[in-house]
Amino acid sequence: MFLSIDGLSAGYGGTRVLEDVSFSLERGEIVSLIGPSGSGKSTVLRCLVGLVPPEAGRIALDGSAVDYTSRAAVRGVRDRLAIVFQQYNLFQNMTALDNVAIAPLKVKGWPKAEVMADAKRLLDTVGLGDKHGAYPDQLSGGQQQRVAIARALALKPDVLLLDEITSALDPELVTEVLDTIRGLAANGMTMLVVSHEMAFVREVSSRVLFMDRGRVIETGPPAELFDAPRTERARDFVTKILRH
Amino acid sequence: MNYTFQWGQVTGHIPYLAGGAMIALQLAFFGFAIGMVVGALCAATKAYGPKAARRLVDAYVSFFTNTPLLVQIFFLYYGLPDAGIFLDSYQAVLVGISLNAGAYLTEIQRAGFMSVRRTELDAAATLGFSRLQMIRYVVVPHLLKTLYAPLANHYIVMVLGTSIAAIFGVEELTGRALNVNAINFRSFEIFSIAAGMYITLTIAASASLYWFGLYAFRIKAKVF
Repeated sequence: MFLSIDGLSAGYGGTRVLEDVSFSLERGEIVSLIGPSGSGKSTVLRCLVGLVPPEAGRIALDGSAVDYTSRAAVRGVRDRLAIVFQQYNLFQNMTALDNVAIAPLKVKGWPKAEVMADAKRLLDTVGLGDKHGAYPDQLSGGQQQRVAIARALALKPDVLLLDEITSALDPELVTEVLDTIRGLAANGMTMLVVSHEMAFVREVSSRVLFMDRGRVIETGPPAELFDAPRTERARDFVTKILRH
Repeated sequence: MNYTFQWGQVTGHIPYLAGGAMIALQLAFFGFAIGMVVGALCAATKAYGPKAARRLVDAYVSFFTNTPLLVQIFFLYYGLPDAGIFLDSYQAVLVGISLNAGAYLTEIQRAGFMSVRRTELDAAATLGFSRLQMIRYVVVPHLLKTLYAPLANHYIVMVLGTSIAAIFGVEELTGRALNVNAINFRSFEIFSIAAGMYITLTIAASASLYWFGLYAFRIKAKVF
């Protein structure tokens, strides 16, 4: 197992939002978390990158457990897991290129020429070759989200965590972002995806986890989970969202 | 109006008045600088400090924003000697202007602290930024950008406000205009020139602050 999560529980200020969540991820695999709003999908990702402290359970990378109370250990995890947020969370005072380059340059201290060339290549890959010097407020939502994807890739992570990255976008911008992710999937990127784009989830995922009220209710290959859910709640959810 | 302008009687005093303008600028500059430090400390206290300290800051801010600057300086100049503290007129005015500015700048800077975007800090954290790097690359640029226009505006208000010093005998621009007026009583000419100098000072400050803001933070700061 490359990334394994065992009995994970977490919450915000005394309210439990994750209860005994367990699953794992192999290298090159794409796993998606689906479920109603507030079911804890995003919190799983936020726990993994140390934005929400786990209250119980074990998260292991390459077989060794991560101690989320240790700053050094959290930094180590953040080196390997990169997250892309729903609201892009770009640095507003920096150009697209600087957003992508700053972490490799300042956090890693990698050589500048190499970092800049790499950042430009990443922006080209996500289709923003002509927007290197643009500031976030000069870009559309879809373009900003693609900068955020390039920024996450700049640290050469092992796993990409995508937290509802198309939920804040106008429908016509969703496609350009999903196409970018499809490209990464084709190149064998390991990803953990939280999404409401069911057709996309079905297309790219090797496994899908259905979550409700902080628990994983059902797990299976997308065809199985979407077409023949075993649990009542998953069936309810799937029929509701596939109706329109 | 049966008035004959006699500019010749006052033009000779222009260098003297210009010297007063420099003192006005100096008062505004130091008052603003001290006010910024006081304001930053108080804003940080209000955002992160213990309850008792926050109350103290609240009391300070409401006292200085709810009473006239003139009364505050009267208190410092005429009131404090009763407590054994003697300030000369320049000191009393500078302390008054600084404390007054500190109160307003506390509120402005606190609003800045509150507006730092949580989302950008999350992103910085997950990219591995240290606390210092977050402050350097995320918090400070954001504060500079959001606070620039209101701070610049306040500075300009302060430049004009320094004329209050004349009441206490400080020979800044207004004070020197009063002095010249006492010599030749060409009030219309003298105060026209003084007004022109104030306008020049504020327009020069507005323009340079505008261009600096545009250059440094890409913001079209509406400075007056």
